[in-house]
Amino acid sequence: MKDKIESILSEAKTRIAAAASESELQNVKSAYVGKQGSLSLLMKEIPKLEVALRPEMGKLLNEAKNQVTEIIEEKRLELKLKASEVSPDFDCSVPGILPEGGGLHPITQMCYDLNDAFRSMGFEIFQEDDITSELYAFDKLNFPPNHPARESMDTYWLEGHDSGSTNEKLCLRPHLTGGSVRYMQTHKPPYRFVYPGRVYRNETTDAHHERAFFQYEALIVDKDITFTSGKVMINSILSKVFGTDVPVRMRSGFFPFVEPGFEIDMQCQVCGGKGCSVCKHVGWIEVMPGGSPHPNVLRAAGLDPDEYTGFYVNIGLDRLVMMRYGVDDVRLFHSADLRFLKQFR
Amino acid sequence: MKLSLSWIKDYVKIPEDMDLKKLAYDLTMSTVEVEDVEYLAKRFEKMVVGVIEKVEPHPNADKLRVCTVDIGEDECKQIVCGGINLQEGMRVAVSCPGAMVRWHGEGEPVMIKNSKLRGVESYGMICASDEIGLGDLFPAEQEAEILDLSAFDVPAGTPLADALDMNDVLLEIDNKSMTNRPDLWGHYGIAREIAALYDLPLVEIKPYQADVKSDFKVEIADPERCPRYIGVEMSGVEVKSSPYQMQNRIWKAGMRPINALVDITNYVMLATGNPTHAFDADNITDHIVVRRAAEGEKLVLLNEHELTLCPDDLVITDSEGPVALAGVMGGAKDSILPKTKRVILEVANFESTGVRRTALRYDNRTEASSRYEKAVDPERCDQALALSMQYFQELYPELTVTGFCDQYVNKLERAQIDVSLTWLAKRLGKSLSNEVIQKKLELLGFTVQIDGDNMHVIAPTWRSTGDISIKDDVMEEVARLYGYDNFEATAFTTSFTGAINQKDQDLIRHIKEYLAIRCGMQEVYTYPWMNDVFVNAVLQSTEGVLRLSTPPAPDLSYIRSSLLPNLCEAVVKNERYFHDFSIFEEAEVFFDRNYTSPYDETESLPEQKRHIGAAFASSVKDVTRLFREAKGVLESMPRYTHMEGFTFRKEEKPVWADSIVWLNIFRGEEKIGDMGLLAKKVSMDCGIKNLSVMLFELDATKLVPLKSRTNKFTHLAEYPETDYDISMLFDSNTAWADMYEVIMGAKKASALVKEASFVDEYRGKQIPDGKKSVTIRLTIGSAEKTLTSEEIESAANQVMKKLGKKLGAELRTQ
Repeated sequence: MKDKIESILSEAKTRIAAAASESELQNVKSAYVGKQGSLSLLMKEIPKLEVALRPEMGKLLNEAKNQVTEIIEEKRLELKLKASEVSPDFDCSVPGILPEGGGLHPITQMCYDLNDAFRSMGFEIFQEDDITSELYAFDKLNFPPNHPARESMDTYWLEGHDSGSTNEKLCLRPHLTGGSVRYMQTHKPPYRFVYPGRVYRNETTDAHHERAFFQYEALIVDKDITFTSGKVMINSILSKVFGTDVPVRMRSGFFPFVEPGFEIDMQCQVCGGKGCSVCKHVGWIEVMPGGSPHPNVLRAAGLDPDEYTGFYVNIGLDRLVMMRYGVDDVRLFHSADLRFLKQFR
Repeated sequence: MKLSLSWIKDYVKIPEDMDLKKLAYDLTMSTVEVEDVEYLAKRFEKMVVGVIEKVEPHPNADKLRVCTVDIGEDECKQIVCGGINLQEGMRVAVSCPGAMVRWHGEGEPVMIKNSKLRGVESYGMICASDEIGLGDLFPAEQEAEILDLSAFDVPAGTPLADALDMNDVLLEIDNKSMTNRPDLWGHYGIAREIAALYDLPLVEIKPYQADVKSDFKVEIADPERCPRYIGVEMSGVEVKSSPYQMQNRIWKAGMRPINALVDITNYVMLATGNPTHAFDADNITDHIVVRRAAEGEKLVLLNEHELTLCPDDLVITDSEGPVALAGVMGGAKDSILPKTKRVILEVANFESTGVRRTALRYDNRTEASSRYEKAVDPERCDQALALSMQYFQELYPELTVTGFCDQYVNKLERAQIDVSLTWLAKRLGKSLSNEVIQKKLELLGFTVQIDGDNMHVIAPTWRSTGDISIKDDVMEEVARLYGYDNFEATAFTTSFTGAINQKDQDLIRHIKEYLAIRCGMQEVYTYPWMNDVFVNAVLQSTEGVLRLSTPPAPDLSYIRSSLLPNLCEAVVKNERYFHDFSIFEEAEVFFDRNYTSPYDETESLPEQKRHIGAAFASSVKDVTRLFREAKGVLESMPRYTHMEGFTFRKEEKPVWADSIVWLNIFRGEEKIGDMGLLAKKVSMDCGIKNLSVMLFELDATKLVPLKSRTNKFTHLAEYPETDYDISMLFDSNTAWADMYEVIMGAKKASALVKEASFVDEYRGKQIPDGKKSVTIRLTIGSAEKTLTSEEIESAANQVMKKLGKKLGAELRTQ
């Protein structure tokens, strides 16, 4: 009998281990410890044994039944943990269902990136209207009376407001700098502000020229600011945009509203300064003009240029965005073409 | 502007081992942007002078010849050529295999290869001038004319670049980078700048000493517009070709050689930056007077255009009338003709803005006017005169000067500026020694006297026409010559006055981020001008809409008073590719009214506001769904962007909206925007084919950000609340707003109803005509206890009863 018990036990263990589902396990259970199970049937044979053997065999048999029940319960738990709600052929490689897609215009994104950078340096954000007068577009910015930019061929003048004195002549602003004068007139120095906005030029468009584009001006005016401080400002902007420190150079440039004036170049990010077709083999790319506000501009804003000075940069956002993403046609920005815009989420 | 390095070297001794890359870099950093440094000889690689030994007919082609050409190698080469002027003994330009040429002077350059032409082997190519880019230097008189180099006495095989003096370097300078530097518009000016940069000796141009007694005179009637005029009358000249070197340099600078008399004037202009002009003296009646034109006076220009002048034009005249437009272009009457034997040379100075106005008035900007309009200094006439006379005498040894007159009526004052050295050091952010400062300025031609802290600076004449006028200009000169690279970045220090708190700025950003990120809409940018088609379709009136005087196109003259026309245009553009999309734009709109300025009382600006507009386009015909989506975006906007909320009601239908599906948007009693379905007719006028479009537009200036977040905490319900849906039949025109009022208004239907929300409405099958079924979800609960199901049902019944009583609602029977 002892042998029999042991052989049933080992057979039961094998079947339990092989069981692949709970129902199979249930069958195994009834086959051994159920009412008609083989171990239960053996129990009925105990009375037929010699009396001396009965207690020992009874004990062995009970232990075997307990053991089988225990292993089955262990196995049941194991099967429960392994179980899935889906069939085994479920395909996890099917694509996800995407959340409703929307996005900010890539120039807005760039503008907000820069706003964050400048806010962290304590700059205010200033915004101003698109229509301005010749007085603020040119006069207050030290443009001589016959400067070519004043001609209608460069500026969008408004019908019915395109002649007369400069405070009556109105146009879509050709640049942002006039707005800086407005800010300075209505705030007390020192100044630290940025000024993003759209500007307009009456010109023929192509992949690199647009009639409406975005500028981002930053101006700091205080006592004893030197143009060398401007380098700090420029480095902050570019490292924010490109994520790494970008070598920068300032070279001589001329704009009526600054003195001295600079063209600010950054090292070409495509070739790392070695020279390539993007940078016309010079290793540098012109990114923004800058300089110290011309004494006449500070005067126009009501400041004494002997006391105050500053540093200003004017970033062409379109150009910076084009470099960031490798966009090769500036006209796409105003196209409202979702095939283009959806790429910048 | 293109500059020849060998020409520059006439005036400044640049060391032979000077690294040209460095020269270009230094000029770029300190003075002007050098866009390109071109080794000219590279254009003529693999090109040599060949001598034609034999010309034979081509066996298979009438128009081709088979030439035997000596190109300086052991054996002559056989070259097939279609030239019409091939002669034995002729020197020609031969492009050997590997050379780059343009076929017939057109298209992209192609590489020459050994080839067979109509069955005959041909080594390279005998070239026409325009095939090797020399069409302007050696203009061909007829088609298929081969460049005849017989005048160049060089042996066969001489590299073409050597033979034609093309071993030169061209510096291309960005004109925009030197608009403020009239002194740089010539080879001498750049040479002077290079001399200053590297402290190199500059060649002086010795003034011309006139030695002639005659009654020749010129008269200046307007010293303001013509500060100086030198006339030189000469005989013994004729029209002939100028020497090759002069032609070569004129060509390198980007102009065309014409004839010796014209070439001298152009050459001198390219050298000094001072335009000069030569008149045929026999066509000048009496003497030259420089004066303003009379109203309506006529002048026929060199280019045959007849101008009707106005008194703002300055003209060169003789006793019969105008002969030239001063500083812009000569006239036809006095122009150099083949018969010209006597000339009057004009070396003059004209005031910049006058020249500019005249050139613009007649749309005639010339090499001369573009230089004068930068403000050339009158002292430069001396150099221009000296160089002119040098070349006239070289080219015409028989020449006699028969008259000379120098009217310098408006003498240039050199600019004088006092600069405090302490101020200079402060502004530079670096203290330079007085010696360094003085040296740098003197290299640039300034006269410098230092007395204690004061530095008295006198600008050179060529920088005194407005370029240098204040101490900041002097600072810039010192800084750029010292080298901007040599100044280290210094941190700026400034006071901290408190955190930046700009709620208005933040609100706009929050709204845009809400629309883009939470509502899944795409931001777009459009132009401020609107297409007439969309103005007519959407706005339907142009009253109060501003226009541009010179619009980008005739049908784009109105600038927006609403964002919706351009958004509709954007819908049309995107309809081809997308069937279900929503877009928004935030931009300024303009109105022809309320002229004022918050910044300046003398200024009058029109009303300008920032608007936020949106379009929801869908091909699904379920307009209710589209309407509710758009309304939902507006309803949650105040909550998510932390601004004061708004309400909706119908007061005034927007012209573009469907007759029923529209709402005005209010903040308090003030209307701040509209929303609605684009009317079918408007949609068709816009050219929208299949999409239904919901629009909204908000006046962003009327949106008020909350001072801080205001949503208050509510205690979590202590006892469970239950959602209980009821469906009832209402008259089809009963508004949800009224149902809500009945359930949740001041006299609540049941105190246990915490909230009522709209689930859906249904018309159609099983619903009687004129009725609709509305499903309403009631949230029922109590603060005191857990409600029994009887209590919940009783509350719902109270609601249904009240809806029945007040609005005639019936329980849906099945």
